[in-house]
Amino acid sequence: MNPKRTMTLNLTDQEMSVLDQLSVQKDLSKTALIRQALRLYQLVDARITRGEKLFFEDQDKQKAELMVL
Amino acid sequence: MRETIQIINAKTSAPVDAEIFDEVALTHFIETQAEWRPVILAAARALSQQPNQGLLIPRHFHWDWTRKEAELKLLAVKFYGLAHEGKLQGIMKVETVAHSCRLPEQQGKPLVYIDYVESAPWNIKKLMAALGQPQRFRAVGTRLFEAAVLQSQEEGFRGRLGLHSLPGSEGFYINECGMTPVGRDPHKQNLLWCEFTPEQAERYLAGE
Amino acid sequence: MKFNKDGDWLAKRAEQEDRHFISVGGLISRIDPEWQADVSSVPNVEATKTAFVRLLQLARRERRLSLEQLAQKVDVDLGELVKIEADESFKPTPRTIHRLAEFLKLPAKKLMVLAGLLQVKDFGLQQASVRFAARSEPVEDVSPEEHAALEEYVKFLNEQ
Repeated sequence: MNPKRTMTLNLTDQEMSVLDQLSVQKDLSKTALIRQALRLYQLVDARITRGEKLFFEDQDKQKAELMVL
Repeated sequence: MRETIQIINAKTSAPVDAEIFDEVALTHFIETQAEWRPVILAAARALSQQPNQGLLIPRHFHWDWTRKEAELKLLAVKFYGLAHEGKLQGIMKVETVAHSCRLPEQQGKPLVYIDYVESAPWNIKKLMAALGQPQRFRAVGTRLFEAAVLQSQEEGFRGRLGLHSLPGSEGFYINECGMTPVGRDPHKQNLLWCEFTPEQAERYLAGE
Repeated sequence: MKFNKDGDWLAKRAEQEDRHFISVGGLISRIDPEWQADVSSVPNVEATKTAFVRLLQLARRERRLSLEQLAQKVDVDLGELVKIEADESFKPTPRTIHRLAEFLKLPAKKLMVLAGLLQVKDFGLQQASVRFAARSEPVEDVSPEEHAALEEYVKFLNEQ
């Protein structure tokens, strides 16, 4: 695999708590979860930069635009 | 990533060395289109004369090259190539973010999604049989599939894997690979969503 | 990556791969706007319907009943029972489903879904049905494997 570098992350209690909770929920290590978050961020950013829009759609098929980045 | 693995020489049935790598360049794609497409189309024509072959081929492959290039740079996307003596024998595209598990017991957990996997047409037994030509290499698709499972394990997804099987491939993924057929996806032309649990992935890798 | 180095494993997997196509529909379904997956040409499409027919067949054979005897026992038209087993596209009447549900001791509503009379998006049911259909084949004697598959499927249908 690719060589890796180490980084220290400073998180608030609340952020750490969310990280813990999501890790358990997704059955992922905290590192893997942060990695997923980064991938998702980059992917969304790439598409929005290209001019696409990101929406959420609720149960009644109502679209709401997600304002991001 | 670049590793030496074995595939099988179809003529001699002997294992031969091949390379599997994830530094796939745009030129690799262009190569596959130029070389593979004509053979696939010829074989499809030959096959379509026989009933119930289960092979579905898009009539046009409108590759959007600029988009492919942009995708090559995304962390969430990985392309794998498998080559023998420098010549591409198979190609695969996986994603790690756009899809997650649908099986109730692992709902919402991340998985590696196989978006595209193709063995060069001269390696596909059924296609070569239709053309009356010899198959060149075997187990190319297997090695790519194996790489996807191993990636899932390395990522910390524990082998969880997902894909939309085309109708002609359902038997392969369900019966041979041992994936769970979860259901037909109405957002994907009712293609069958197949998924691996960690246990199924382990069994696949171990050969059960 | 720890690829499997066992030659036997490779040979077995190659054998399996050679029997099939391995194409997946992700990218392919996005790049050709005119392409349509011809799902109707695949025998496996109506997984729940196949499972329904197999369920009936196995349940009938386990009890050593001919179609005629079953028709008499549950008081439904023999012709309809024949059509259920022989014609994949045939939709039985709700009354027949209810009688069969009583006989099989299964929830009628579940059987209605399997027979194609009710549309419900139930991935779990589809999954169980595909598995059951794949594990049960229409042969004369009910094998121990079929028996186990039948028991498991019936248990699942009753649980929900």
